[in-house]
Amino acid sequence: MRVLILIPAYNEASSLPQVIADVRQHVPDADILVVDDASSDATAALLPQLGVRWVRLSQRLGTGTAVRTGLRYAAARGYEIVVRIDGDGQHPPEEINRLLVPLLHGAGDVVIGSRYAAGRTAATPPVRRLIHRMLAEVLSLMTNQLVTDPTSGFWAFSEQALHVLVDHHPSGYPEPELLLFLNRNGLRVIEVPVEMRTRIAGRTSLTPQRTWSAMARLLLLLVVVPLRSAVEGNRD
Amino acid sequence: MIEPVQIIALVTSVFLLGLVLELVRRKKLTEEYSFVWLICAVALLAVALGRRLLDRVALAVGIYYPPAALLLVLIFFVFVASLSFSVVVSRQRQQIERLIEEAALLEARLRELDSSSSIKTKPSVTPAS
Repeated sequence: MRVLILIPAYNEASSLPQVIADVRQHVPDADILVVDDASSDATAALLPQLGVRWVRLSQRLGTGTAVRTGLRYAAARGYEIVVRIDGDGQHPPEEINRLLVPLLHGAGDVVIGSRYAAGRTAATPPVRRLIHRMLAEVLSLMTNQLVTDPTSGFWAFSEQALHVLVDHHPSGYPEPELLLFLNRNGLRVIEVPVEMRTRIAGRTSLTPQRTWSAMARLLLLLVVVPLRSAVEGNRD
Repeated sequence: MIEPVQIIALVTSVFLLGLVLELVRRKKLTEEYSFVWLICAVALLAVALGRRLLDRVALAVGIYYPPAALLLVLIFFVFVASLSFSVVVSRQRQQIERLIEEAALLEARLRELDSSSSIKTKPSVTPAS
């Protein structure tokens, strides 16, 4: 089973070496791809020295598009599973196997690592936790399945999901829209509980302005995505 | 009797029509994007010239001062034009994103091919005779 660990990165030069070393230690058979979303720090200079596969976008397009680029890379090279983790060290590579198990057993098409599943708690600021909880309730209701961590960026995609998402992975901050999209297209999503850490270095790209903008966009998408037609997977 | 607002509409529509045709002639505006403006100019011209049509439309929608209907028509077409250009901008953004993705993936493919061919073409060591 060919597995690709996909790391979308924007200004993660301080944390990437550690994250990659951890991935190598815990998932030694997997290939690693970093998609640099036009970082303005030393990420671009660092990539050739890390001994990983990498793609550099010439303009900053956001996390969703960086992930889509990675999925297209994976699909073109015949990978069967893609695991997406953040480049800031929040997603411990030792938890990757937890996401792989359900895919290997065919229990789902997409697996999400949830920091709140099975009654877990995480060190999330109270306001953000409240937003997560409200969003989780709305998405659970709309998708008719339990969603506990609607903004987790810790995902594993099966080959079937991969071939649908190469053309349709959402842009921007993609996670809630992705949940709606997968549900609309009949792909099975399951959550597994995982531990998450605080970021190794750097700052989140979610400024207050971007948070409000993402929420406004999400409100619109909650209405629109279920009304869109289902899509077909790309097998080219 | 022709109202001043009708004269303004007439001049505006003729000017708009001429301007759009000139921009298309100079290839500064593609035909595809000129249609919405041409329709706007022609509609404005028709309403400005056809006073009775304007009166009837105004009465039908409950506007008691018919020249105000002229401005309403103008605003409607500007609204339609703005919306159609928002669609164009959105589509072009998606196309630009896709191009940037393609360029990055091709660059990665080229780099990987370069590195694999440089490994293959390393001079082999021949044992000394």
